[in-house]
Amino acid sequence: MKVAYYPGCVAQESGKELDMAVRAVAPRLGIELAEFPNFSCCGSGFIDESNYALNTAINARNLAIAEKAGLGVVMTVCSTCQGMLKLAKWNLAHNSVLRARSDKVLSQIGMHYQGSAEPKHMLQILVEDLGGAKKLSTLVKRPLKGLKVGAFYGCHILRPHDKMGFEDPEDPHSFEDVIRALGAEPVDYRGRVMCCGFPIQFVKPKTGQLLAGKQVLDAKRHGAHAMATPCPLCHISLDTYQKEAGKQVGEELNMPVFHFPQLIGLALGIAPDALGLSRHLVDTRSALEKLGAVGVPA
Amino acid sequence: MAMVKVPIDVHRGSPGASGHFDHFVLDLDEHTPVLTALLKIRDEIDPTLTLRYSCRQAICGSCAMRVNGKSRLACVTQVGPELAKRGKIVLEPMGNQPLLRDLVVDQQPFWERYHRIEPYLLPDPAHPMPVGKENPMSPEQVSQFQETPRCIACASCFSACPALDSDPNFLGPMALAKLYRFVVDPRDGGFHRRLEMVQNQSLWLCLRCNLCVEACPKDVRPAERIVDLKWMANQELGKLEPGSKHSIGFAENIQEGGLLNERKLAMDSLGLVGALGQLPKAIAMMRHGRSIKKHPPIQGKEDLDVIYRELAGREDLQHRAFTREGGVRGKSPPSTSAVPTATAATSSAPESPPANRPVSKGPTEGGKA
Repeated sequence: MKVAYYPGCVAQESGKELDMAVRAVAPRLGIELAEFPNFSCCGSGFIDESNYALNTAINARNLAIAEKAGLGVVMTVCSTCQGMLKLAKWNLAHNSVLRARSDKVLSQIGMHYQGSAEPKHMLQILVEDLGGAKKLSTLVKRPLKGLKVGAFYGCHILRPHDKMGFEDPEDPHSFEDVIRALGAEPVDYRGRVMCCGFPIQFVKPKTGQLLAGKQVLDAKRHGAHAMATPCPLCHISLDTYQKEAGKQVGEELNMPVFHFPQLIGLALGIAPDALGLSRHLVDTRSALEKLGAVGVPA
Repeated sequence: MAMVKVPIDVHRGSPGASGHFDHFVLDLDEHTPVLTALLKIRDEIDPTLTLRYSCRQAICGSCAMRVNGKSRLACVTQVGPELAKRGKIVLEPMGNQPLLRDLVVDQQPFWERYHRIEPYLLPDPAHPMPVGKENPMSPEQVSQFQETPRCIACASCFSACPALDSDPNFLGPMALAKLYRFVVDPRDGGFHRRLEMVQNQSLWLCLRCNLCVEACPKDVRPAERIVDLKWMANQELGKLEPGSKHSIGFAENIQEGGLLNERKLAMDSLGLVGALGQLPKAIAMMRHGRSIKKHPPIQGKEDLDVIYRELAGREDLQHRAFTREGGVRGKSPPSTSAVPTATAATSSAPESPPANRPVSKGPTEGGKA
């Protein structure tokens, strides 16, 4: 399946390990990545707070780039990118004034948005287009036996569900299905559909960190050895700022947090180093040691 | 009609005592509302069960509680789908409000915030209310309320909100959605005062997690109205504090190269001192091989420049579809009429098309997906 790969900003810089993992697992999953160095940021749920038309038009441009190349799917690897591209597509379909604005400015740059390309998160592609958990389990070379994983979805891949069109926005299961297919055991905890606090990390940092801390603590209390997320922004909150999050909840958390494709990569037998695990701020070795067969990264 | 065995765990307890769950198994039709199941328990098994309810048809908003973790009205939540999903039904009192007993909470924190937003029309010296007659609004003006008048104050959104759970300063989804309703009311004189009040207090604590949108039984969509409020605050008040600096700064940040310059964002939002506080984090990240460099500009950056040139800056209200008289700044009304009648309002904003509604909704094109 050939897709327009939309890595988003963070996976191209501070969260490059996500991009590494995507590139490592995609061919094994049957995903061919077409790359477009002209993709811009999705707006991240901030640009529309000051300018709706601008936010819609930059995403109409992103989608039009994929359409021009004849591709029907824009593959995101970030819950927020997914949410923003999908929201833009919804607005372009439902608000004629916004659509006209966007069409006009795109015509000035020789582009045309048709609405034929669908933004889809890699998790969604995996469960909807690539045979789901059943197919995935046949690809597993190194089952993640003994590892209890708390899935952490990231709000924008799920909600609002009538615009996102993915799955149950408050009680989803696709990620847990994937975790099970990889041989690991999903942990059922309420925090998995909560907010990681990222949107206010730079606005009211302590509240943001408290939110992250609560979700990690919830996963921990329910027995998780590790967490995994399809969103690199959640990863920043849960991993990069975990120390601060721990202070807010008054407990040292020591919770390894995997990007979703990294977890898949481990089960497919890819070396941890190739998945960029050493770039995490919270050491992932405690989780890798649980797996026994997995080598410990340098 | 299919009868099923329904296992139900009901939270019991009072403040001060540690709560517990009582387990019941009822034979019910799968379409039975959770509230009906609870009344059956109370009437036939345990008369001490305490719950709050009244109309039984999603009008009074009394029976909100957490059903398998989700904030819901018990009267319109059927047992079947919950059973299919979770194998049992766990009923807990609403979140973010102190427990009184069993499934009943003290709603004072909810109402206190509601009162804080001054939920009534504030006088506008420039538009005195007509004496002895009504003050009508045009259908277009009424449509700007979006779905906010549907709110039945059930507090489901309040119960579901993770920001409230983490910061008591937050006004919460319902109060902010209600605030939006007054901010867009052309008869209200508190436009700037209201925006300034939330700008300073708590507007930026909304996480856009949209849990309130899912919890609301009336599709009021509080999170989307809060984005509208942020938009208005940004348009009207500019970069006042970290929240607005962050969202306005973000748009400017992307303008430079097309992708996010993470380092600059920290600087813009937190200021020099705040950004310096991030230095240990930056060093820790570098130790792990992570740098936060500036991306080279994207290919086709000149195309993005055109989009920014055409659309950035102060946003034209046309596509926002938000029309107070003469636009969001509230230009002087037509001197002949102090009352914004339908005709006056339309003629005073000739640039606004009839389909002018906030972008998050497009009723003329088919409404909700």
